[in-house]
Amino acid sequence: MTGRSAVRTLVVVALVLLAQTTIILEIRVDGASPDVMLLLPIAAGVAAGPVEGATVGFVAGIAADLLTPTPLGLSALVGTLVGLAVGAISGGVVRDLRGLPTLVALVSSAAAVMLYAVLGAVLGESQFLHVDLAGVVAVVAVANALLAGPAVRLMRWALAGDAERATAGGRR
Amino acid sequence: MARAVRPRRSRRTLTTVLVLVLLSVTIITLDETGRAEFFTSGVKTAASDLYSPLRSGVNGVLDPIGRFFAGAVDYGSVEQENQKLQEKITALEHERTAAASASAMYRALQRLLATDRLPSVSALPKVPAEVIAQNTSDFAATVTVDKGRDEGVSLGDPVIGPGGLVGEVVTVTHTTATVRLLTDGKSKIGVSFGHQQEATLDGTGQGRALQIEYVPTTSPVSKGELISTSGLQGAAFPPGIPVARVVSVRDIVGAADKQVTARPLADLADLTYVEVVQWAGSS
Repeated sequence: MTGRSAVRTLVVVALVLLAQTTIILEIRVDGASPDVMLLLPIAAGVAAGPVEGATVGFVAGIAADLLTPTPLGLSALVGTLVGLAVGAISGGVVRDLRGLPTLVALVSSAAAVMLYAVLGAVLGESQFLHVDLAGVVAVVAVANALLAGPAVRLMRWALAGDAERATAGGRR
Repeated sequence: MARAVRPRRSRRTLTTVLVLVLLSVTIITLDETGRAEFFTSGVKTAASDLYSPLRSGVNGVLDPIGRFFAGAVDYGSVEQENQKLQEKITALEHERTAAASASAMYRALQRLLATDRLPSVSALPKVPAEVIAQNTSDFAATVTVDKGRDEGVSLGDPVIGPGGLVGEVVTVTHTTATVRLLTDGKSKIGVSFGHQQEATLDGTGQGRALQIEYVPTTSPVSKGELISTSGLQGAAFPPGIPVARVVSVRDIVGAADKQVTARPLADLADLTYVEVVQWAGSS
């Protein structure tokens, strides 16, 4: 990640965090609200690969954890793993096929929410398994699937040089 | 050349991911074990102190914009008089909505005042506060209020709302505080009911009924019974604050305790104004 792309990425993370804790939190479906911070590592993984996905996941996770009462570092761990997985699996495939970022966001968001709940329970936050997990998974996954396209374009801009290198590597 | 590039990229990926995962696990460990609580909670406090004014500013900007678009009328291709009439109707509807909202707020404040005047808390110093954010995470039932350390709010202070107990303060910054609601899975409150019967009231998740633990099968508890804080020696809450009402009682064959559930008296889904009780607690 270059210096310029790091600055752009930080700006994107800050703006999305602001949106998440103001507008997005007001949107509730059966008590659950979307989590667009989770979309950042997914979009970064699709746009630029596993390293960028993991790094953005860590940064976005830490930023989110600082403002919630849940364990510090947990979102960072989940974000890192999700960004890595999405970046590694998507490779050059998703960039070439339209519509697949939406599917990737849907599946990986669902997996990330479940991973978060399970890891939280393992850490002693057993109440994580008492929430309406199905509802939270559905709301987060669908919202992220709908926003996947713009999010990938945003991360492609933020990670400009890295995204181009990843695309070139994927097409070889 | 391609072969040399691929292993180098794989090593870079592995190294980066290992470092990030180890860093995450280290932070989690430090936070959960409390070994560096001064650091982790200090960082969270500093972040909240920095972020709260920004969030308030953004909310202040977005609210009028949202109301503008909500109030925008469908001008269409109607005559000017019809257009004016439509605007008038919209304005009147806004006034009616605002009046209804003010009326609801007035009723909530009246209920809060009634709770404030209860013998158990009337003599205790309190900090009135407004709820500025609800449930910042889908995995924790919390609200954020607009008063913090600077106004005398402390960690562990009970919080009361219209109707009864709402929760307790779990994090404090200079200007805000996070309140864990009764319904949060981590919430455990010592309560009493009936003829000095003691039990524990546990949260089981947002929107779910509260669970009352350690109610012996011989204990006479009935549906509709009022549950209040017990205030035992060293308790986190002053005694006698109304908390919930029993909604179901089940005797399980072979079990030592009854299965009792309750609903909070305060409307936790619609909190606007609360009071933080500056409770020193008994030693």
